[in-house]
Amino acid sequence: MPRRYPYVISSALLAVAIYFGLAVTYVDQYLHADISLGLPVAARTLIAVLSGLIGAAIYLAADDLKSPRCANRLIFTGVILMLIGTWFGLFVAPPEEFMGDVQRIMYVHVPTAWNGLLALTVAFVCAIVFLFKGDWKWDARMEASIEVGVVLAFLLCVQGAIWAKPTWGVWWDWDPRLTTTAVLLFAFLGILALRKFVDDPMKRAIWSSVATIIAYVDVPIVYFSVRWWNSLHQLQSNPNTVSKPFWIPLRANAFGILFVMVGFIMLRARIASLRLETEIAPPPLEFGEAV
Amino acid sequence: MMAVFVFGAAALLLFSFAVGPVAELLRQFSAGFLWLGLLLSSTLTLAESYHAEMENRALEGLLLLPSDPRALYYGKAIANWLQLWILGVALTPVMVILYDAGTTRIFALVAVIGLGTAGLSAPGTLYAAMTAQVRSKQTLLPLLLFPLIVPALLASVKATSLIVLGDPMGEIKSWLTLLVAFDAIYWSLCGLLFGRVVEE
Amino acid sequence: MNGVVTGGWNFVIAAYGITVAVLAIYGLTLITRLREEKRHDAESDRY
Repeated sequence: MPRRYPYVISSALLAVAIYFGLAVTYVDQYLHADISLGLPVAARTLIAVLSGLIGAAIYLAADDLKSPRCANRLIFTGVILMLIGTWFGLFVAPPEEFMGDVQRIMYVHVPTAWNGLLALTVAFVCAIVFLFKGDWKWDARMEASIEVGVVLAFLLCVQGAIWAKPTWGVWWDWDPRLTTTAVLLFAFLGILALRKFVDDPMKRAIWSSVATIIAYVDVPIVYFSVRWWNSLHQLQSNPNTVSKPFWIPLRANAFGILFVMVGFIMLRARIASLRLETEIAPPPLEFGEAV
Repeated sequence: MMAVFVFGAAALLLFSFAVGPVAELLRQFSAGFLWLGLLLSSTLTLAESYHAEMENRALEGLLLLPSDPRALYYGKAIANWLQLWILGVALTPVMVILYDAGTTRIFALVAVIGLGTAGLSAPGTLYAAMTAQVRSKQTLLPLLLFPLIVPALLASVKATSLIVLGDPMGEIKSWLTLLVAFDAIYWSLCGLLFGRVVEE
Repeated sequence: MNGVVTGGWNFVIAAYGITVAVLAIYGLTLITRLREEKRHDAESDRY
């Protein structure tokens, strides 16, 4: 069945990503065997990141918003990867030189940040595609990725506050990244509220696409303005610096959250499309061919 | 317009109660208070700016005219901008009197207020076009607008307070650049997208 | 920062706990909402 091809291809890409991003390092470090197929570290990282992102993108784009099986499998894989990453992050990785045990927050904080930004980028792409193609699928996907992105952004703010307290002695430090995340959180919460208040599906879809594009363009401007604003205040140590041997928990959590995020977006898009179907249903209209 | 000015002035008066009658602190925060007052007032003027169009479905009539919706957007946005600019300039004496935050660089101050209110009105006009058509517009407009204009607000407050409190390091230039960049991006982007917002 | 941050396990546990809790709760709401929509969908199909 040709409909299955995208899923097969993207599953293969995700497997490649896990192999080069995780398995090679893990086997090398703990079983002392070389399964890297002779590729240098930079090439392996590039392959892992690219195939992971492309695989996730194909999963999202190929989803016909009907059967939840693939999403469930993705979430299952993601949870297992996160269990591995959390185990390594909490119990195997040694405490960091300066930050001590608090450094372990980074193993979940940094992957959340990457994937949160990725989810909102997906929303931005969906908004542009919807404005050009006018296909309802992309509206459902946009709603889904905004909501998942908002959940991740909320988590990011909480984790950032928990990180800041033992490190700098305050819950909120006006760090550019953290502040930008908070601004993003409110901007996209506003878009979700807009979707709640507009009853006409067509207007809702177009308006929230426009608002998503405008809010996403704001991200770099907010980041740089907060950085300038805070630059006289204090120069911070970079919390992203992770020592070399601790890559495994970071990568496992990154892929784990990526898979869980893609699965969540697929499930949420299904909910949105079912709701859209009932909203558009009254006049007999072929789903997906409106506009 | 007069009512909005009184609202803004009352907000400025109230902000000073939040700090207490410490002249030095008030002077420090004066620029922030001015912009917060202007921001709160702007939600009133922006929400009001589509009032006439919403009555008797006049917006649909305007769109039936053989003119570009972009012309409609820029007309609205410029009207909002001028209104906010005048409001900002009118609120400045209130700030000077209440917070003892006077300056001799009047022209620079007026220019900064102009650039900052341009940043408020470009996305504000677009969002007002959406929220004017939905229920509970009073909540929705600030909810969408406030996070978006954080950079413009930050830059305007910084630039204004550098003018009022003095600028020994010559930092104001980078903030003005940021404001100009923000204005340029949103005046062009919102003009592009406005056509999709009002189409039926 | 001067010196090493000692202790802090409670912060680590709080961060991981909140992350797991929020993701789990969000996943559960997704499942219940999906069930709800499907039931709604089936009902509206009947009429």
